[in-house]
Amino acid sequence: MQPLTQPFIPSSVKIRVSNLSFSYNGREILRDTSLEFPEHAITAIVGPSGSGKSTFLMTLNRLWEELPQCTMGGRVEILLNGIQQNIYAPDCGVEALRRRVGMVFQMPNPLPMSIFKNVAFPLQLAGEKDKNVIRRRVEETLQDVGLWDDVKDRLAGSALSLSGGQQQRMCMARAMILRPEILLLDEPASALDQKAAEAIEQLLVRWKQNCTILIVSHYLDQVKRIADSVVELQGGQLRNRQVATPRV
Amino acid sequence: MTAGSERVVERLFFAAAFVSAFVTVFIFGFLVYYGLPLFSGGRFIEILSSPWAPHQGSFGIYPMIVGTLAISMLAMVFAFPLSMGCAILISVVSRGRLSKVIRKVVEAMTGIPTVVYGFVGIFLLIPLVRNVFDAGSGMCVLSASLMLAVLVSPTMILFFCDSFDRVPRSYGHAVLALGGTRIQQFLHVTLPCSWPGIVVAVTLALGRAVGDTLIALMIAGNAVQVPGSVFDSARTLTSHIALVFAADNESLEFKAIFACGVSLYLFTTILVLIIRLAVHERGKCGQVR
Repeated sequence: MQPLTQPFIPSSVKIRVSNLSFSYNGREILRDTSLEFPEHAITAIVGPSGSGKSTFLMTLNRLWEELPQCTMGGRVEILLNGIQQNIYAPDCGVEALRRRVGMVFQMPNPLPMSIFKNVAFPLQLAGEKDKNVIRRRVEETLQDVGLWDDVKDRLAGSALSLSGGQQQRMCMARAMILRPEILLLDEPASALDQKAAEAIEQLLVRWKQNCTILIVSHYLDQVKRIADSVVELQGGQLRNRQVATPRV
Repeated sequence: MTAGSERVVERLFFAAAFVSAFVTVFIFGFLVYYGLPLFSGGRFIEILSSPWAPHQGSFGIYPMIVGTLAISMLAMVFAFPLSMGCAILISVVSRGRLSKVIRKVVEAMTGIPTVVYGFVGIFLLIPLVRNVFDAGSGMCVLSASLMLAVLVSPTMILFFCDSFDRVPRSYGHAVLALGGTRIQQFLHVTLPCSWPGIVVAVTLALGRAVGDTLIALMIAGNAVQVPGSVFDSARTLTSHIALVFAADNESLEFKAIFACGVSLYLFTTILVLIIRLAVHERGKCGQVR
């Protein structure tokens, strides 16, 4: 199947999900659901626990393919490099896709290596060899997430020694260092205190200039503060929902 | 639990630990005591470095030491890549049915008695080596180490798989979500994190390869000589202990068996110490690399 270029889709649609179905271990999680997600916006995904919000995010970077006993039907098209692509087309490389569609998990997941190596790791995976480029990008990205001043003197120290909030910001830096077009966040602040959560929210609001953000959140306050649109996932269906109050 | 019964349990555990430590020391003392005539007057080094010629009064075990090292090391050279490849297939590359089937087969292999491997060696491997390499009888270092590699591999494979599986899944997902391949995930995260487990597996396997008697006894040919090539027959220290026929318990020939025991004991101890040091130096998963 060829990646599709469909001029009739308005350029403001970044992700288009059509007839998406998903089952895990025989249990139906998404049932023939379709929706579009706008570009340069923060879309919050809400819904009851276990409704499949995290799973839905994983259909957008194909990470579910690493889980056993999952089946998927339907179509996901993403506007990547200005071209709308069916991300499940055989010629769509999964590694290349994941470099364009970054992901931050619920629990901070630093790798057991130094802070510097953690943040530089995606560049290394992508084959970047120039040490100066790597050093510059790591510094830029850490400054962007507001972590540079905290860690600049201990870049060679273990990433596991950082606090939870710092670890999560480092993971966000790691996800952003390749400058993805889409960032998927699975309750990124749920394990953090209020202050750390606010720092992350501010980052997301700033990042949406260059990036389309989908965030799973349980916290209505947080959704109200940062989301441009809200999507509810219930009974296997994705539905647009009104944002209750104007966002800050 | 009351303080009194806790103390009883504590003492029982202490007794168990003491007994196992004591037995180890006792065995070493026993070996040294019986081999004493050979160790006195600086003769131990001479025994370790001279040939075995009992009729000329020379009871050196040098050929057996070389034979042991050659067979066990070569076995590890074959077994390590085989086990690593198999473990990668089970835990990294393949998922689902194939992985489970291979794992079950490997688990079953650990339960096969050594003598069965020995027979397979005699009836299948030796003729094969003889025909393929045109190498005399086929009873040689190569045949013994190939069979020994098959013997020690299942344990190594299961240990490797276990260490790979113990690496937190979140690490794997982190690498894949960042656009890494499974191979990159394995090389950059799984392998470095599994290092201590890999070292333990290699130690155990090498210990078994050095200590195994039957494979070498049945397959290596048992010639008392320093093997010049992998196609030469050789005798290991363990085979030597099994083969020396000495009716007189006071004879030096008989005492030489104990020298073999001490050599094996020392070799294994030094090996374990070196490997422990290596693990200590290299650090564990979670530390900065």
